Amino acid sequence: MPRIPVSVLVKAYRRNPLLPLLLKECRSLDSARNELRWLRERALRDSRLPGRLRGSWPGWRARLRSMCLWRSRGFPLQYILGDQPFGDLEILCRRGVLIPRPETESYTVEAARLIRQALAQEEPGSPGTRSLRVLDLCTGTGCIALLLHALLASHFKDMIVLGVDLSPIALNLAQKNLDHNVDKGLLSRRASTDIHFQRADVLGRSDSSIPAVEEVLPKYFSQSGALSEPSATRCDLLISNPPYISASEFRDGTTARSVRLFEPRLALVPPATGSTEDAQDRPEDIFYRRILTLSIKLQAKVTVLECGDMTQAGRVVEMYTAMTSSHSDHSSAEIWPSTERDLAANGFHPYDGSRCVIIKRWAR
Amino acid sequence: MLRLRPCLGPLKPPIPLFTLAPSRTFTHTPSLPAKPLPARLKIDDADLTVSYLKGTGPGGQKINKTNSACQIIHKPSGIVIKCQATRSRSQNEKIARSLLADRVEAREKGDQSRVALKAEAVRKKKASKVKKAKRKYRALEKGEEGDERETEEVKERVPGEDNKEGVKEVSKGSPGA
Repeated sequence: MPRIPVSVLVKAYRRNPLLPLLLKECRSLDSARNELRWLRERALRDSRLPGRLRGSWPGWRARLRSMCLWRSRGFPLQYILGDQPFGDLEILCRRGVLIPRPETESYTVEAARLIRQALAQEEPGSPGTRSLRVLDLCTGTGCIALLLHALLASHFKDMIVLGVDLSPIALNLAQKNLDHNVDKGLLSRRASTDIHFQRADVLGRSDSSIPAVEEVLPKYFSQSGALSEPSATRCDLLISNPPYISASEFRDGTTARSVRLFEPRLALVPPATGSTEDAQDRPEDIFYRRILTLSIKLQAKVTVLECGDMTQAGRVVEMYTAMTSSHSDHSSAEIWPSTERDLAANGFHPYDGSRCVIIKRWAR
Repeated sequence: MLRLRPCLGPLKPPIPLFTLAPSRTFTHTPSLPAKPLPARLKIDDADLTVSYLKGTGPGGQKINKTNSACQIIHKPSGIVIKCQATRSRSQNEKIARSLLADRVEAREKGDQSRVALKAEAVRKKKASKVKKAKRKYRALEKGEEGDERETEEVKERVPGEDNKEGVKEVSKGSPGA
């Protein structure tokens, strides 16, 4: 990490004595000033709360200073403020659950657009009468599941969104987020009955007591009357932001200090399973094989998977092509965004950083 | 906060604020409704290039950027607006869009645009305030000098409307009254 020039520190100090603290983490004066503004707004807002909610802070200045000190140690801004905007929603963030990223917001919006398009082509009935089933694996704060509901609820009469995660802390927070956004009027009332969060293991490890994803799905996605038949379990949109950082990239400085120290490793680095099925893939790719298998089994019309970078996305596309080469599957897998225009319009870095793989499958 | 009350008989006015404030006399001059502003300019989405700037560095799980600035370019005029006021992308986009609409309108309509009309209204209000303050203190000064005089004439210049210089004669009661 390049050293911040003393001249910049002096300039920052003259503007506000708290800015050099924030510069430690933000690295640029512009973003440090933004963060200071947001922190001050929050400190002021909290100081106007009634005593019981305000906590034991003597005044907003003391609170602001303490917030800046936390931030200078790399503590994520979203954990300090307690929330992060995601689309038009407000997602609560707590230690132990991954913070939603802006790219995730971009491809969630894209996924919503694609599934509407796919279903409109398939059954050109009047909009608002169709039904939709969405599966969000490794849901974390539940941000993807909630935003999809916010974007799609007005277009579908019936909608079921299932968010799956391994971590009970995440599931607890996801449920809180659902209630919070319904209370604030950012999600429609029906979201409370349409969205479910369920604990399950995406990797389906036999040694744990947590059920595998396949076991919990029939309860939500079976067509009526065919509960016992596993082949009747279908889903329209499968979306996931699974852990995808390799153990070495977690350590070697590619992963930011703030992420490494304060965000949960469970949500970032896939565990070593030691199973023979996973041995053919790199350890950071093991989630993708499971999710792709599930996507084929559920005949998902659109599948959206976040990947760490271009090369990982390339490996996932390759993996999918190899998996479907044996049977005639009417589908296509591509990396999104791949054009310069899409990259800029959706806030992706031009050559580095996350990408996603989008698989479209159409009915025969 | 205004609250709707059940309509039983004539509506009573809400408790006036000045009963809560220290006693001070208020004059009730009926405030004239402001002239409606022209409708907001609708900008065709096809003319816009909306992009989200992510500062430096890659994105994804590996880092946690807090900036989500939105930049909008209006292609016909080449106006660029960047907004990073809030942490929310969609909010930044909304703000940038409205700023852009104002800027484009100002360029097209000049003096008759919403922004110009609003600025003009603010300017007039301020000018009138300054004028009243000046009048008050001038009267106070005069009042200290000569207590016997009941009325006095103050000649004052009103800051020009459309470059016309209006001169207004104002008579004022003594400040002690």
